Amino acid sequence: MAKPSRSLLALSTTALALPGIAIADAPPVNSSLSYKVSNYQEDDLDRAESPFGDLGRYDIDVHQFQFISPIGRAFSLQIDANYEDLSGASPWFTTLGPNGSPIVNLSGASGIQDRRAELNVGTRYYLENGSIGGNVGYSQENDYRATYGGISGERHFNDDLTTVSIGLSYSSDDIFPTDAEIFNRVISEDKSSASAVLNISQIINQVSTFQTAFSITEQSGFLTDPYKLVDTRPDKKTQIAWSNSYRRYMRAADAAWHINYRFYHDDFGVTSHTSDMSWHQNLGSSVQIIPMLRYYTQSAANFFTNVDDFTSPATNFQSSDYRLSAFGAISGALTLKTTFGNWDATLTGERYLANEKYSAFNVSQPSTALVRYVRVSLGLDYSF
Amino acid sequence: MKLIRTFLFFYLSLSMLAACTQVRPWERGLLAKEEMAWRTDALESALNDHIFFSKEASSGGSSAAGGGCGCN
Repeated sequence: MAKPSRSLLALSTTALALPGIAIADAPPVNSSLSYKVSNYQEDDLDRAESPFGDLGRYDIDVHQFQFISPIGRAFSLQIDANYEDLSGASPWFTTLGPNGSPIVNLSGASGIQDRRAELNVGTRYYLENGSIGGNVGYSQENDYRATYGGISGERHFNDDLTTVSIGLSYSSDDIFPTDAEIFNRVISEDKSSASAVLNISQIINQVSTFQTAFSITEQSGFLTDPYKLVDTRPDKKTQIAWSNSYRRYMRAADAAWHINYRFYHDDFGVTSHTSDMSWHQNLGSSVQIIPMLRYYTQSAANFFTNVDDFTSPATNFQSSDYRLSAFGAISGALTLKTTFGNWDATLTGERYLANEKYSAFNVSQPSTALVRYVRVSLGLDYSF
Repeated sequence: MKLIRTFLFFYLSLSMLAACTQVRPWERGLLAKEEMAWRTDALESALNDHIFFSKEASSGGSSAAGGGCGCN
C-alpha cells in the first residue's frame, strides 16, 4: 500500500484542526492580537436595604489583551494581560433593621479604590495525536497577589472523534488588606489552591459535539473575607464541578446552538446548578448575532447568616457574605459580531439580576445586597 | 466493589462514545466552523468566568483554575 504523500498528510492535519474538537493537532496558522474593554456597573442598593451611608456599589473597568502566535512548526505562544480598575463600596456588616429585616452597611463613605494587573504566559507543543502545554501567571492588586501556573495535555482517540485532556494548576496567593491597623484587620495572610480537571470531548455526528468535564479544587489557608467586620470561615475547602456542553449546527438556519450545564458542590455546603444557552446566528458571511440566556442557583453555606452575630466567639464559623447565601440569578446578553478583512469586532450588552426569589433551593435566610449589574463590552481581533 | 462500579461506569461510557456515528475528517466541515467552538470568544469567556467567580460561590468546570483575586 502506497504511503500517503506529505502534502496529503499536511492537508489532513489542517482539516483536523477543528475549533470545536481537535484544535490542538497543529499550532494556529496565523498570529492574532485581541483587545476587549468592558465596563460593568452594579446597581445601587435600596435605601430600605441600607438605611445609612452610601448606596453606590462597584463600577469596574476591565481591559483584556491577548496575543497568540505559532512558533516554528510545533509550538505556539499565548500571552494574556489584564488590567482592572474598580471603585465603589462593598458590604461591611449586617444587622437587624427596625422592622425586623436584615440591613446591610457598606464599607466607608469614600468606598474602595483598587487596581488589578495580571500577566499570563503559556506555550503548547503539538504532537501527532495531541498536545502538551504549560502556563505561568502573576496577578497584583493593592491588597492581593497571586502567583500561579498550570500544565495540561490532550490526546485524540477513536479516529480523532474523541479527545481526552487533563489539566493541573496551582496558585499561591498573599492577602494584605489596606487600612489593616485602623480597622483591626489581619495584616498579612496567605492561601493556596490546587486544581485538577479531566475533560472528554466527542464528535456525535456531522453537526453535533458533546463535552463532559470533571474538576476538583482544594483550597487551604486564609479563606475568610478580611474586609467584613465579622467573618470566620474554615481554612480548607474542597470544590467539585461537573460540566457538560453540547454544540449543534442548524443547517437550515445557518446557526449554531450552544447548551451548557454545570453541577457544583463544596464542603462549605454550597451546591449549585448553572445552565446557559446561546444561539450563534450568521447573517451573511460577515455578521453574527448571538443572544444568550443564563440561569444560576445555589444553596447557602452551612455557616451563612443574614445578620451578623457580634456575640459569637471568633472561632465559630459565620459569614453574612451574600455570595454564600441561597439565591438565584438570571442573566441575558446580546452580542453583535462583524468581520471586515482581517478584523473582527464584537459588541456585547448584558444584564445580570440576582434575587433570593429566583432560587431553586430553600431560602431560610434571605440575604441583603444581592448583586444586579449591567455590562457593556467592545472587542477587537486582528489576525495576521 | 466501589472501584469495580467506577471502572464499569467509565468502561460503559467510553463504549457509548465509540458507538457514536463514524464521521470522516472530510465530513467535519460544519464542526470546524468558528461558531461551533467550545469557546467562541476566549476573552469573553475569561471575563465571564472572572465576574461570576467574584459574584457567586461556584467556580471550576471545564478548565483548571488560574490565580485567585481579592474580589469582594
